[in-house]
Formats: sequence, C-alpha cells, structure tokens
Amino acid sequence: MSGKSKKRGGLRFWLALWAAKLSVPALKLTGHAATNFPGKVAMKLCPGFLSYMAHPETVIAVTGTNGKTTVANLLLDTLEASGKRVCGNRESSNMYSGVTSALLSSVSVFNKCRVDAEVIEVDEHATRLILPDMDPDLLIVTNLFRDSLMRNAHAEFVASRLDKNIPKGLRLLLNADDLISSGLAPENPRAYFGIEKLDTDVTECVNRINDVRVCPKCAGRMEFEYRRYHHIGRAKCVDCGFASPDYDYSAKVDKSTGTMTIRDASGAGTYRLLSDAIYDMYNLVSVVGALRQLGMSHEDIGAALSKVKIAGIRRDETTIGGVRVINQLAKDKNSIGCSRVFDYIHSQPGKKELLLMMNSLLDEGHWSENVCWYYDCDYEFLADPSVTHVVCAGPRYKDMKLRLLLAGVPEERISLERDELRASELLYMEPGTDVYLLYGTDTTDTMLQVREHLADLKK
Amino acid sequence: MKIEVLYPEVCNLFGDLMNVEYLARCADAEVIRTSLKETPRFVSEKVDLVYMGSVTERGQELARDAFAPHLGALKKRTAQGGVTLITGNALEIFGEYITDDDVGDIPMLGLFPTHAERHLTRRFNGMFLGKFEDITIVGFKSQFGHSYGKVQRGLFEVTRGTGLNPNEKWEGIRENNLMATYLIGPLLVMNPHFTKYLLKLLGVSEPRLVFEEASLDAYNQRVLDFSDPKRGFEY
Repeated sequence: MSGKSKKRGGLRFWLALWAAKLSVPALKLTGHAATNFPGKVAMKLCPGFLSYMAHPETVIAVTGTNGKTTVANLLLDTLEASGKRVCGNRESSNMYSGVTSALLSSVSVFNKCRVDAEVIEVDEHATRLILPDMDPDLLIVTNLFRDSLMRNAHAEFVASRLDKNIPKGLRLLLNADDLISSGLAPENPRAYFGIEKLDTDVTECVNRINDVRVCPKCAGRMEFEYRRYHHIGRAKCVDCGFASPDYDYSAKVDKSTGTMTIRDASGAGTYRLLSDAIYDMYNLVSVVGALRQLGMSHEDIGAALSKVKIAGIRRDETTIGGVRVINQLAKDKNSIGCSRVFDYIHSQPGKKELLLMMNSLLDEGHWSENVCWYYDCDYEFLADPSVTHVVCAGPRYKDMKLRLLLAGVPEERISLERDELRASELLYMEPGTDVYLLYGTDTTDTMLQVREHLADLKK
Repeated sequence: MKIEVLYPEVCNLFGDLMNVEYLARCADAEVIRTSLKETPRFVSEKVDLVYMGSVTERGQELARDAFAPHLGALKKRTAQGGVTLITGNALEIFGEYITDDDVGDIPMLGLFPTHAERHLTRRFNGMFLGKFEDITIVGFKSQFGHSYGKVQRGLFEVTRGTGLNPNEKWEGIRENNLMATYLIGPLLVMNPHFTKYLLKLLGVSEPRLVFEEASLDAYNQRVLDFSDPKRGFEY
C-alpha cells in the first residue's frame, strides 16, 4: 500500500471499500449519479472509513462560509495544471459521504493511493468527523459570515463549532481580514493571507450585516482602519488594543493592469486577477498562499494558474439576441453571498436587468422558506439607477417584491411572475443592457431551463 | 414618536432590526440606537417604544450586564403601560436563567418567571401560525432551545407550530404592553395587521403602512401557505 492512512484497515474496511467501489459502476449502469451513495455505503459498513483509506502526501481541506468551492476547485485545477495527479469532491457534497464518494477513485481496490494530492471542500459542521479522519496537512478557512440561519445560527456559533472540531496541531491558513475566522484555534500553527488597502475601501460599514462591532476579547468598540464589506477589513479595539493579525501573504491589487502582487517572507509573484470581484481576489490570494505553504514557487504557481478559470456553473455568460446574459449563483438563504453578488452587479458599468429566482425549492417542497435572510441581505444595492428592471420569480416572489420596495427600488422597475419560465418572458432583453439570471443552489436546473427558453424565444 | 433600539451592536440577528426601520417609516418616528455602554434613554425621558432583537449567546450575557441596572426602570415603564417589544432569543435575557448543555446555569434578569433550556447541538426551526386577539400572526422560529415556566399571559395563541415550548399553547409573553416573542426576523413587515395594532397602541389614530399593498399581498399568501395542512411546521 502506498500513501498514508491513519489506521490499518480490517475486514470491515476492505468490505466497505470493495462494496463502495462496486456501487459506482452499478449506479452508472442504472442511470444514477454516483455522488453520495458510495460514500454512504462505505460509512455504513465501516464507520471512520476515511481514516483507513490511503491518502497522498498532500491533503488540503478547505472550509468557510463563502468561496470554499471556488478555492478547492482552483487548487485542484492549479495542482493538475502543474502536473500533479489530483482528486477532490468537485462532483459530490462537502459532507462525509460526499468526500468519501469522491476520494474512492483515488485508491485502488488494494487501497493503493493513485494520486499526488487531495483537495477537499468541507462543510463547516462536517469538519468534526472529516478532519480527524483525514488528518490533512493544511486547513484553509476562507472566511466566516452569517450563513443559513436555520443551520448555522450566526458566525460566532460556527466559529465556536470549528474551534472544537479543528484537531490540535493542524496547520491553518486563515484570512487576516476576517476577525471572526482569524481567531480560530489559537494554539494551532498558522499563516495569514490578506489584501492591502484598496481605493474602494471605507471605514464605516455600508452593509446591513456588521458583525464585529464589539471586540471579541473585551466587548470594547472596534475601529476599522479600512473595511471592504461587512466585517472584512483591518480593525483594532479602542479599549484593549486587540487587532487584526499581520499578513504572511500580502496581496496588493492593481486594477489598472488586472493583477495582484502577492508578497511573503521569501519572495513575491504577480498574478492575473480571476475577476474584478473582491471575493475572487480573496479566493486567489488564499490559493496562492496555500500553494506557497506546499513549497511551490511563485513562478510555478503563476504558470499553472494561467491555465485555469473559475468553474462556469457559478458564473457564466452567453449572448442571446445580441444581449449579454450572465448566469450568477446567488445562494438562497445566504444573505452575505447574495449581498456580495448584488454589490458586484451594481458596481458594474452600464445598465442591468435582473431575474431573481433564488428560492429554496427544497424548503418549499414541504415547508415554506424562512425569508428572514432577505432582511439581512443588501437588496439596497439594487436600488441603483443602473439596475433598470428586476423580475421576481419562484414561490417567494411576493416577499422579494416587498423587500425590493423597502430597499428603495421603485415599483415601476419591478415585475412579478411566480413561474420562472414565464417570468423570463418579462425581461426586456434590450441590447446594451446586461441581463443577470440569479439562481440559488436549488434552482440551478431552473436557471439552465430559463436560459434555454430565452434562447428559444430569440430564435 | 421615539423608538429606542437597545444594543444594536449585538442584538441584530436574523433581520430583526427591520422591525424598527419599518415601524419608523410607517410612523415617521425618530430612532434612538443605544449601545452597551450607554444608559437607555427611556430611563430618563419619554420613549414610545423600546425594542430589543435576536442576539448571539455571548451577546445575551453582554446585554444582560448592560441592562441589569435599568431593570427597575423597565418594570416601572411596563406598569405605566409603556410599550416594549422583544423578539427572538432576546426574550431569554428577561427570564430567570438559561441552562446551557456545556456551561450549566447562566443567570439572567428575572423579569419573567421562566428559564430557557439551550442545546447548541440541536437547533429548532419552525414556522408559526397563531392569533393575537382576532389577528392572524405568521412567523418563523430558529433557536437553540425553548423557555419553560408559569407565564400569566402569553402573547400569541398557537394555531400551528410551537409555543414558548413544545407543550405550551401560547407563544411569547405579555405583561401589560411589554411583548416578548421567540418569533424572529421582520415580524412587523410580515404581519401588517399586527403592525397597525401596534401603531395604534403607540398613538397613531389612523395608521397607514409603507408599501401596505405589497405587505398585505405577501401576508395573505403566507397565511394561505401556512394554513395548508400538508405543510410541515418543523424543519
């Protein structure tokens, strides 16, 4: 057996490995996707399966509220582009069963590891079982924000869970500009990434959510030297002096050239920005920081990164009838994620028209979506005059309209239609105005149908 | 009209603060935001509505410590008919104590004869359909526990969903015009009839709501949705 595993597997492990592996072709033959089921089989037959599996020398885990999928996928792409054999959970969930399903292909039937690196995206709550079983070399925490309130309550709660779940000694790569996640597991070895002051930074919060208003240590007042959005920035307590940590990977952005220069103790490299969105800048600096932690040179990282791009399903664009149509993931129930998207859209040049369909169809199937998150979310960005028309669609379309009105969007700019396909017919689709299709995790298929429908209408 | 929001730097979860923004817009009211280190204005001057919203667990203790010296002033205000609205788990701050699985008993202010049982590993999520006098109330709950104890008067009668605790047919607590409820988020935006009742209580003779038509439209849809017997009420 090559590769490292925490424990030596017994009969249960071998049975689990073989049964799980056999279930993959069986599912394919019967027309099912092998996403989580093989992992569930493995877990059922052998609890702690991942601790018996062989893993490569390099194992990176990525968690956090926003950006973890993008960061994990970018790391996989970059390592692959640099010639490594990689495995990760791109196609399956970020829970134990999904990670297990994904990593099954990284070992042979004799548990021989066939890859050079594993990069896994891990749900914050799933870190409790996955981290001790996989024993990664590095854990990246992208940031911690409010997320689905029903599951995650608030950012302090998620931080307290992570504090309990992070194994002692695990090396961390943390966001120095986030005063919630930067304080995680204070005894663990760590490095920090961050972005130096930007022209667009402010000191006062312009967002509805502003979570580090009192000092995490003494409850004194926090004063921001600069702030990007929400609590992201550099701050200091006016009472006890507690402050944001210094950067080990310090990024300086040059928007005029579309590049970012990242400095660390042993050098610097200049990288092409993935996009002009701030969250993508953080994604990039965390990826470079992680690869530097693995010992890659700035030159090699730059060369590999130049070959990759962000996965299209989260943000992609096409032209329909001479109109630029952008599909953009704006996760339902994630107020910060949607706020970031709204902010990005309002800051883009030119006129924009939006179709909002971020409804939790899963919740609507049996219950009714808890829409409190709308009122934590910065719909106010959509009151910008450049947003000329907003169509609300899906089960919560009436709630969306009310929230838009309260945000200051004039009523004449709002259209309503519950059915998403019919709602798309209300879009003006005028050349020169960009059309954004905003969809949530449950409405990815709906977005694809809408895009196809729009294309059919223009044929 | 003056509305005082207590400790918005910590009592600000789940969109609760939109309740005050909405009410202020409907009544053209002045909003006073009182921080943890300030003395609440209602202690020394006339304030029409005092409000406190959902809070983190650490924030509950910060708010308790900040408010403790002013509990007597709140009791006096309540006895005199002053209007106070408390939403989400801010309700627990005014109970006797919170029992936490990890920490044990955490003393609270003791205004209500209740205690909360908090389980950080079990989040309770539910929808709520109830009655306030003849007004139908809709709302959401998302909390780490429930409150127990002998409450003289509840706030909302449960039609569907969970009350102050799973065995209680009343949701929330009412003492004169002090109203406390576990319901979270934009309660007043979601309940136009209740908001009008509150505005009348605050002295507005013919209340009109901002975006009343859109609010009623969303409310009527939700009442319909929540009355559907096929819908689950606990997530």
